[in-house]
Amino acid sequence: MMDILKKIAESLMEFEPEDTIALVNEALASGIDAKTVLNEGLIKGMDIVGQLFKTNEIYVPEVTMAAECLQEALVVIKPLLKEEPSDVKVTVVIGTVEGDVHDIGKNLVAVMMEGAGFEVIDIGNNVLAQTFIDAAKEHNADIIACSALLTTTMAVMPEVAALAKNEKFEKDVKVLFGGAPIFEKWALENGADGYAEDASGAVQLVKDLVSRK
Amino acid sequence: MGKDLIIKVMNHETIDRVPWVPFAGVHAGKLKGFTAKEVLTDGQKLYESLLEVNKLYKPDGMPVVFDLQIEAEILGCDLLWAEDAPPSVNSHPLKDTKEIPCKCKIPEAKQGRIPMVLDVMKKLSAEIGNETALYGLICGPFTLASHLRGNSIFKDMIKDAKYVKELVEFCAEVNIKMAEYYIDAGMDVIAIVDPLVSQVSSKHFHNILADSFESVFSYIRSKGKFSSFFVCGDATNQMEEMCLTKPDNISIDENVDIVKAKETTDKYNIVISGNIPLTTVMLHGNQQDNMKYVVDLLDSITKDNLILSPGCDMPYDVPIENTIGAAMAVINTAETREMVANYQAVEEDIEVDLPDYDHLKKPLVEAFTLDSATCAACTYMWGAAQFAKEHFKDEIDIVEYKYTTKENIARCKKMGVTNLPSLYINGKLKWKSIIPSEDELFEEIKKNMN
Repeated sequence: MMDILKKIAESLMEFEPEDTIALVNEALASGIDAKTVLNEGLIKGMDIVGQLFKTNEIYVPEVTMAAECLQEALVVIKPLLKEEPSDVKVTVVIGTVEGDVHDIGKNLVAVMMEGAGFEVIDIGNNVLAQTFIDAAKEHNADIIACSALLTTTMAVMPEVAALAKNEKFEKDVKVLFGGAPIFEKWALENGADGYAEDASGAVQLVKDLVSRK
Repeated sequence: MGKDLIIKVMNHETIDRVPWVPFAGVHAGKLKGFTAKEVLTDGQKLYESLLEVNKLYKPDGMPVVFDLQIEAEILGCDLLWAEDAPPSVNSHPLKDTKEIPCKCKIPEAKQGRIPMVLDVMKKLSAEIGNETALYGLICGPFTLASHLRGNSIFKDMIKDAKYVKELVEFCAEVNIKMAEYYIDAGMDVIAIVDPLVSQVSSKHFHNILADSFESVFSYIRSKGKFSSFFVCGDATNQMEEMCLTKPDNISIDENVDIVKAKETTDKYNIVISGNIPLTTVMLHGNQQDNMKYVVDLLDSITKDNLILSPGCDMPYDVPIENTIGAAMAVINTAETREMVANYQAVEEDIEVDLPDYDHLKKPLVEAFTLDSATCAACTYMWGAAQFAKEHFKDEIDIVEYKYTTKENIARCKKMGVTNLPSLYINGKLKWKSIIPSEDELFEEIKKNMN
């Protein structure tokens, strides 16, 4: 059993979605339940991808392809997953803020979060501050994640944070800022509940924030 | 002259001080009150703004226009414009089709915004080209290819490297044509600006991109001009491969440790430029932070084969005094080191007597400067006060407080002066960093006459 799960994890870095799907199907056929395939195979695999990316051993092309392997495998796995009362479901609304159409970083964070098992609602780029709030309400999100590449558009992020603070959500929604020009001091002074300097760090940050709730 | 410094450093000759190249792209517009969009679309406004950059920041070299979307716009990308930043590419013509554009699509000199840019380059070259090295900036072949193809290019690099290589080769031909136009318009340095290079592995760079970059730098060299390779982001692992494409200069931002990177560039005898942090220091820091950062950087690195510059295109809203402080620190490092040390040493209790501003017999014009003898913007600010004195003679008093003494630093602190140069009339701040026109200054003085 461990062998096939290890192969699934490693297959993400082979960049062949069909091979990952074949391994997932093989694992399911051997009687391993979907949740184990997800947690011990795919999520572990993306964790490795995240670590390699963090240490500059792989770059955007490799993460993009690993993500494609993951996403195609999720299409197979998701219908088979049964929600259990003990499951902690984390929902993240993520987007690039108004005036900014740069989405490479946002996409990387989204896929890492998806790879960590979070429900990710990607609302795209050039997104109005209010749209983040509306999407968070609609999807009953735990986290609003804002991205920006420009020093000028980063100014939209405090607007999102301010709107979130004044909104009545069902949950205690946390707001995160990210992107090349953002630095921790600025983020925390301008309304963010947390800051991480890369995609892997963002995943860990969400885990920490949700566990503290 | 500054231009000589750039030429000498590029030729690896010994020079008296490190050259200074502020990358004032859209930020140039701020100096004249124009928006980013205005300076990127209106040649006259761009020209006036760049003359102001040359005057206030005293650059040894400067870019003429910093917009990586000029070529993409001509090749069919839609742009999202902003008032305080360069435009962004908002659509990708090759998003759903893996084509290589026809060579007939290579931009002609009459297309898009190229005529405006060439006109400004020619005028600027005639006006300041003897004293300041002018940089023509071109969107690098990989970033241009990504503008055309969109994010799919990253997947293509793994699944169809041949396609990416061909697309990047096409973009390199675009680069060469643009370089030809810019060189003919009087540019001394052609910078290939490719921020995305930091997002791919050195292996991908070597296998797919390197040949194209090398061909562009080789062309620029064949035309007798200098080439520069600008990258943004953490390009630490790509430095060696970038050097192998043989540019004369590599420019990096704050994500790369410049001291370590210089060990690599020195090995290949390539000049390195960088890397004042754009956001934390230039945009959000104060004048002292910028002066200190530059002094500390210069104290930590060998001075040969080095150009001091911001990490990349300066944000529009960088406080003008911050760049003036950085310029001062590069041009007069020893004096600035002293200022920074004195600033840190000055205690609040140094006795300074401020004038009784409410009971002055005649208008008092006070110029607070870093040092009008060595800081260009300060020279102009003090010059404005002196000009007023010549005009109004005994009807006004003028005084300069240079930041070179502890007493004057204490005076600045007591007065709450944070930006140098600044001009105060009767104890009130009237102008900071921007030099007033004769009319503005005279009118303000007259208002304060009894």
